[in-house]
Amino acid sequence: MNSPGLALHGIRKRYASVTALRGIDLELAAGASLAILGPNGAGKSTLLRVMAGLAHPTEGRVEFAGGKLDRRRVGYLGHSTLLYPELTARENLVFAGRLYGLRNPTARADQLLAEEGLEAVAQRRAGGFSRGMAQRLSIARARVHAPALLLLDEPFTGLDEPAAQRLTDRLEILASEGHGLVLVTHAINRAARLAQSALILVGGAVRHRSFGGRLTESGLQTAYTQALDTTQ
Amino acid sequence: MNVALAILWKDLLSEWRSRDRVVAMLIFSILMAVVFYFALPDRRPEELRILTPGLLWTAYLFAALLGLNRSFALELENDALAGLALAPGNRGWIFLGKATANWVLISIVQILTAAVFAVFYRVDLIPVLPGLVSIIGLGTVGICAAGTLLAAMAVRTGFREVLLPILLLPALFPILAGAVKGSLAAVAGEAVPFESLQLLIVVDGIYLIVAFLGFDYVLDE
Repeated sequence: MNSPGLALHGIRKRYASVTALRGIDLELAAGASLAILGPNGAGKSTLLRVMAGLAHPTEGRVEFAGGKLDRRRVGYLGHSTLLYPELTARENLVFAGRLYGLRNPTARADQLLAEEGLEAVAQRRAGGFSRGMAQRLSIARARVHAPALLLLDEPFTGLDEPAAQRLTDRLEILASEGHGLVLVTHAINRAARLAQSALILVGGAVRHRSFGGRLTESGLQTAYTQALDTTQ
Repeated sequence: MNVALAILWKDLLSEWRSRDRVVAMLIFSILMAVVFYFALPDRRPEELRILTPGLLWTAYLFAALLGLNRSFALELENDALAGLALAPGNRGWIFLGKATANWVLISIVQILTAAVFAVFYRVDLIPVLPGLVSIIGLGTVGICAAGTLLAAMAVRTGFREVLLPILLLPALFPILAGAVKGSLAAVAGEAVPFESLQLLIVVDGIYLIVAFLGFDYVLDE
């Protein structure tokens, strides 16, 4: 997959008197995967929303393949599912496909429903889905336009262990297919398994970067603990 | 354009299944008709004919506020508003889709409300329907254009139910000036004054253009 690289230059984000991000610089190669870790309130979700083009940085700029951020190339899954409870699973995906101007959104919706194992519930309203089913449908929604880069904010939240394991397997397949992946999570074990690099944020600033080497769960755990200790 | 049509389809389908906005607006409008009916007893038909347009627009306005507030509140559930903001291209199409859906739903309520008022006040609206429909339709375009933009601005605040009417009030003055005056003439069986139509068309055009162009900034965090 010909996915573009992502670059952040001096990203700052303020909400009134609160500074959420304090000068973040980052370069992510095309098709690479990154885990963003940090305690609650560290600015992880804000950073992801800036990457997605949902939040404008107060200072700094986001580049995609050397140019402006193109929302067509990014798929986003937030804390919430972005789904409409009154629409069926298929209708949610068809609607998302139409937002991205797909020529045949119904065929794409059916393909994604099959990939996520949701064919049997395609005609059921999303409002009646379990957290796990809704999360799988959300992942399908984020992928509806075949984005080069997937941005996932706490995708394992609310999932039981088997469901979280299935999602991890699914994301591994997507990464192996060449999708770029940025994962915000508290699950260090899954971050080590899925990501090639890691960023630890504390108080809106980068406290640790792991780029280039192989990520291990123990190494990430140590870096995480040290990053928290130095801030306290 | 595809984005606007997709949002129109989604909003109408969701409303068809839940019916919460239309039912809420309709109950509110009918309640107002009932209140006015008891507040204005034993009026002569000529008096009622003069009062009906003002009463109708009072009901329309409050019902529209109710519907417009709900329009974006629904997008907050599951953060669906972010899903809309992620759509590529000009976000003005998002505005156009939402505004058109609002116009359709509010128009349905207006037709049913007019029928209720016609029965309660024994005013025959059928002979004056073309003039009345054109003036109400144009007035509603302006309300939906300004209302959809301002509802999107107010939705992320903690007091959106209060904020929308406050923000919308100044924008409503020119619309109501043209719409109520035009409706008075239409219900009286006279030709709708050109000035009323002209005012509504100009105001609608301005609101639609401003909202289309400004919506990109409204959805940004």
